[in-house]
Amino acid sequence: MGNTSNGEAVLFWILAPITVLAALAVVGSKKAVHSALWMAMVMVNLAMFFAVQSAPFLAVAQVVVYTGAVMILFLFVLMLIGVDSSDSLVETIRGQRIAAMLAGIGFGVLMIAGIGNASVDDFNGLTAANSAQGGNVEGLAALIFTRYVFAFEAIGALLITAALGAMVLAHREEIGEKLNQKALSIQRFKDGGIVTPLPAPGVYARHNAVDMPALLPDGTASELSVSPVLRARGDVLEPDDSVAAEASQRAQLGKGSSS
Amino acid sequence: MMIPTSEAPAGAAEQLQNIGEATGVFNLTWLMIALPLFGALVLLCGGKRTDSWGHILGCLTVLGSFLIGAIQFLTLLGKDADERAYNQHLYDWLDSGNLQLGVGFQVDQLSICFVLLITFVGFLIHLYSVEYMAHDLRRRRFFGYLNLFISAMLLLVLADSYLLLFVGWEGVGLASYLLIGFWQHVPDYATAAKKAFVMNRVGDIGLLVAMFFMFDQFGSLAFDEVFEAVPGASDGWVTAIGLMLLLGAVGKSAQFPLQAWLLDAMAGPTPVSALIHAATMVTAGVYLIVRSAPIYNLSDTAQLVVAIVGAITLVIGALIGTAKDDIKKALAASTMSQIGYMVLAAGLGPAGYAFAIFHLLTHGFFKAGLFLSAGSVMHGMHDDTDMRRYGALRAAMPITYACFGLGFLAIIGIPPFAGFWSKDKIIEAAFNDNIALGLCALIGAGITAFYMSRVMIMTFFSDKRWDSGVHPHESPKLMTLPLIVLAGGAVLGGGLLINDGIVTWLEPVVGHEEAHHRMPVWALTALTLFVIVVGVAAALKMYQFSPVARTQPQGGVLVHAARHDLYQDTVNEAVLMRPGQWATRFLVWLDHRGLDNLVNGLAALLGGTAGRLRRVQAGFVRSYALTMFGGAALTVLAVLVVRL
Amino acid sequence: MIRLAASETLIPAPNIEYYELSPILIVFGVGVLAVLVEAFLPRAHRLHAQLALCLTGLVAAFVVVCTLTDEAQENARAVPQKVAAEGAVAIDGMTLFLQGTILLLGVVAVLLLAERRLGGEFAASAATVPGSAAEKETTRLGWVQTEIYPLLMFSIGGMLIFPAANDLLLMFVALEVLSLPLYLLCGLARRRRLLSQEAALKYFLLGAFSSAFFLYGIALLYGYAGSVRLSDINAAVSGSEDNDALLLIGMALLAVGLLFKVGAVPFHAWTPDVYQGAPTPVTAFMAAATKVAAFGALLRVFYVGLGGAKWDWHPMFWGVAMVTMLFGSLVALVQTDVKRMLAYSSIAHAGFILVGLVATNAEGLSATMFYLLAYGFSTIAAFAIISLVRDGSGEATHLSQWAGLGRRSPVVAGMFALLLLAFAGIPLTSGFTAKFAVFSASASAGGTPLIVVGVLSSTVAAFFYIRVIVLMFFSAPVTDGPRVAVPSLTTALAVWIGVAVTVFLGVLPQPVLDLADNASFLIS
Repeated sequence: MGNTSNGEAVLFWILAPITVLAALAVVGSKKAVHSALWMAMVMVNLAMFFAVQSAPFLAVAQVVVYTGAVMILFLFVLMLIGVDSSDSLVETIRGQRIAAMLAGIGFGVLMIAGIGNASVDDFNGLTAANSAQGGNVEGLAALIFTRYVFAFEAIGALLITAALGAMVLAHREEIGEKLNQKALSIQRFKDGGIVTPLPAPGVYARHNAVDMPALLPDGTASELSVSPVLRARGDVLEPDDSVAAEASQRAQLGKGSSS
Repeated sequence: MMIPTSEAPAGAAEQLQNIGEATGVFNLTWLMIALPLFGALVLLCGGKRTDSWGHILGCLTVLGSFLIGAIQFLTLLGKDADERAYNQHLYDWLDSGNLQLGVGFQVDQLSICFVLLITFVGFLIHLYSVEYMAHDLRRRRFFGYLNLFISAMLLLVLADSYLLLFVGWEGVGLASYLLIGFWQHVPDYATAAKKAFVMNRVGDIGLLVAMFFMFDQFGSLAFDEVFEAVPGASDGWVTAIGLMLLLGAVGKSAQFPLQAWLLDAMAGPTPVSALIHAATMVTAGVYLIVRSAPIYNLSDTAQLVVAIVGAITLVIGALIGTAKDDIKKALAASTMSQIGYMVLAAGLGPAGYAFAIFHLLTHGFFKAGLFLSAGSVMHGMHDDTDMRRYGALRAAMPITYACFGLGFLAIIGIPPFAGFWSKDKIIEAAFNDNIALGLCALIGAGITAFYMSRVMIMTFFSDKRWDSGVHPHESPKLMTLPLIVLAGGAVLGGGLLINDGIVTWLEPVVGHEEAHHRMPVWALTALTLFVIVVGVAAALKMYQFSPVARTQPQGGVLVHAARHDLYQDTVNEAVLMRPGQWATRFLVWLDHRGLDNLVNGLAALLGGTAGRLRRVQAGFVRSYALTMFGGAALTVLAVLVVRL
Repeated sequence: MIRLAASETLIPAPNIEYYELSPILIVFGVGVLAVLVEAFLPRAHRLHAQLALCLTGLVAAFVVVCTLTDEAQENARAVPQKVAAEGAVAIDGMTLFLQGTILLLGVVAVLLLAERRLGGEFAASAATVPGSAAEKETTRLGWVQTEIYPLLMFSIGGMLIFPAANDLLLMFVALEVLSLPLYLLCGLARRRRLLSQEAALKYFLLGAFSSAFFLYGIALLYGYAGSVRLSDINAAVSGSEDNDALLLIGMALLAVGLLFKVGAVPFHAWTPDVYQGAPTPVTAFMAAATKVAAFGALLRVFYVGLGGAKWDWHPMFWGVAMVTMLFGSLVALVQTDVKRMLAYSSIAHAGFILVGLVATNAEGLSATMFYLLAYGFSTIAAFAIISLVRDGSGEATHLSQWAGLGRRSPVVAGMFALLLLAFAGIPLTSGFTAKFAVFSASASAGGTPLIVVGVLSSTVAAFFYIRVIVLMFFSAPVTDGPRVAVPSLTTALAVWIGVAVTVFLGVLPQPVLDLADNASFLIS
């Protein structure tokens, strides 16, 4: 196998710009969730690259592990943590952004100049590698279980460490007796405050999403009916418009029925 | 194994003697050093637990070292003259390619003399200190330091290379520093300790540079290898090495122009003054010069400078001695002057080495005796050191008086006491070499007679000038016993010269040259005695037969100058101390700036480099990452650029 | 495209030299056991069980290292020489020497970790929020996070592989195995927890960043040589002239990743913050053992894999070594915190060790190994002593608080002074011997300018070490300053071991120098 085939070239020139732009978007997005989604895009594109380069196992693993497991986990974490305290994105160090860009450009130029000079016109060994054990997956398996078996096993230590680390940092052991429902209930009444479940968000003719507060009997919006996370994010809508619209609609309906 | 020395070029006197492998008792050389070191460790680390028996341990370790030394000495006596040097090689310290640094000891005729002096006088002074420091709460610590000193000093004289000698050299410097500042709660004493420390460092630089030179020229620092290689080096290098070694000696032995620290060092307890600043440590410079005889023999210039330094110091020291009213300072000035004699003798080459050592040994005994007697006087006078408030003490403390008197007779050189024989020989050798040096030595002898008589008279004779409430009394037995022994040495020390004993003893190490006399020996001796008598007479007239003022009289210009150590402090201050102080002050300033977390200090010196570098460390992880990124780019660039 | 493998194409089973690999396997095994101890033993017994388990494991591994060395020397009078685990692990002189060093340092580190009398250095429960009621409650109950022991063992295991890795893939895995537990350990301080967590996060982020460079470098070198095995890369370097750009950029990026771990300028930025924030026993362990492992890896990559291209990487390493020595010494001058000062001093020392590394000969190899051993023990003892100087709020690390310490605790201050003198390279301490070995190796390889810069920065460095000594012994003690706490036996033992080795290697270095000389052998 000598040069890049036409199909591969076409695919590359279509996907490569998209991948680069998506990667830039990962860095540039203001919201973490957006970054994560862009990241998923990069991953999927990479998987496609692997696929066209005759590395089907890698392509699948990329999709399953990175796009599937890692990115989803990432999104879960983002949602669990909530976004009620968002980090300021204003750069406080003078010149940091410019310097970072300069360093990035400089590094990039060096890389392009260096690697661009390398002669990678024809590549060899791929066919041999893929056919040695009767296929790509078998070839990888052979490598993992012979040549790189020690590295493969050593990764076990890494996984145990990661699990242990997660336990250490996140697992909180209970101190003392665990409170049962009765005790909790008593406690709640002792503490005072709201004893009943919190009110549900507002339901209006034109709007019934979680970001719309319910109305109290006196016509004001209930603070408790929307999640504080949304409030902190500034995503809570004012019910006034909906109330006004509803009133006018009711008025219209009344007029209509009377007419 | 005998190291053949036949390849050594056959100079007149620098024929090196064979050095044998240590056997039998000479294998115990290390133990001599280890015993006091062990004592020091136990005493300094043992804490209060050792308070009750610490001083006894301190004395015993030194006694043990002395016994080993004495047995070695007796063994040496029984050997042939050319089989009296032994080398105990302990181990190779560093052995890499062309550099071999070993650790080993060398016992020969020269070092055994020092071993005996150090351990014997050292032991006596330990004994004395038991009583002298009895009321000091930190006596255990004091003995720890003393043991440390003995150990380091033995290391210094037993080393078989300049490197190991330097370790001992620094060790005695440290011990001296600790002991001068032993009563550090008195700010003056702490300052004195620091002064001694700083001036000694100046000398150390000389020794270090000499070692660098030697290493560069000869590729070794072991005595035997250096001395073997010296004749092959150029005159310039030999002179340079000689002068640098002299600088080291000058610092340690308080010679001109680095003598000023010795007078201040009297701040230490009196036993310290006797042991370190009279009998042993300050003579290390003389040892260094005599040990390096093969180097000095090849450089007339260096030798001449040594002799001149000695001559100047002996006169200066004597002059200063005439004006000091503090008994310890007068004795310290005298020490300076007497070491000047030794250095002068050492500068005369093979004709004088043996006499330098001879005078060193006798001086070690009688000066230690004088200091301990002075300590005994102070003990009886409530720690007052001003001689103007002494007077007529001979009845109150007869033993002290007798011992001091014997030491006095020895130091001014009255026959048949020890000092007469040793000093007379030096004066004689100086005259044979050079009239000017001889005259200096002669005049020095006269002044010595004058100021020592002055001390003697003002302390024990003339009239009572005590403060009211002071009741002089004799010291306890444990203090007077060492005095008596040392006085015995002052009386009998001259015996070493019988049959040219010391000269032939040392000849294999330092060589000897028969003197060609410029004038008859008897005439010179008579002249010396005459000068001494004049000195004593003058002192009698001024202090015995006319009343001594209780306060210092105004005095003329010369007296004034002498009182101020001939303005050497002032000169030193301008030349050495002032820049040193600036440096220190700068460092202190730096220190404070650093400590106060103000703008950093060295920034000023290094153009703010450090400060700016620190500012990079802002604590933001993104700026750290940026430096890494930039660094990575630079790294790649650096590797790529090489290929262009 | 994907088809199932026919049953006739069986993969031959790999050859695993269990005996040669057993030091690594023992340490990992003990790590796993330690996790089980955490899971099944009641809290009260965990500490002692962990301590016994870890110490036994480390000592056993060390014994195996010794017998391996011994056997090889008996059999062939040469150093051991074997590639194990299908060629992925090189068991040679350097590997065994550095593994032995790391294991010994690990023993000392375990002893430090086990300190209980001073209230412990590690968080009662790392999951509690700093300052919360739960934190106070767990602290009051006397809990302590004993997971540090398995974490430490995994880290040591990674360190054992790191200098032995004969291919870049294994080296990368080892890098991660040794780093991940360290990131965690850094964040587990008992006091000043926010500072500690910040340090851990910084270390993690920057470590990940550097790993990326390392990985990129591996990829480029693979592109160049068609293999990640060092011997293949070496063959490619000496064989072909094609595609040098890949080689050059690849080696530069590999160097970035490794120089980050040793804390060389300009990849040092994490060092002071992390050293300051991490619990002191962890700092001690990192400063000592991580350096050993990372320098071992540097030596292997650049001597074995890229030795043929040394004229390409020499200038870059010269520059890094010079800048590192000067920067570390200069900035240490203005530090006011003892831990930070030692951090910068460790940067400067990385520079000195690099001087030995760029000599690129057997002498350089042995000098570097000796330096690592000497520095490791001195630095671990120095940090241990820092953990003893305390006031009401824990460790007193501000320099001004150390004023006059020598008058109150002469023995501890004296030992610290001795260690500082060793850092400064004063004769009769291990520091002098090590610097001397490194400089003379460099001199034999024509590195005079490096030596000039080295001596210059040693002089600058000597100034701030001696400043601390002066501060301790000649300044008036501060009123209600810190005092030296009486540690439990383990910490005291650790300090004494470090001090003893420092003195021993200064007074009697020859046997160990010979050992390093004999071990200065790499499988190519």
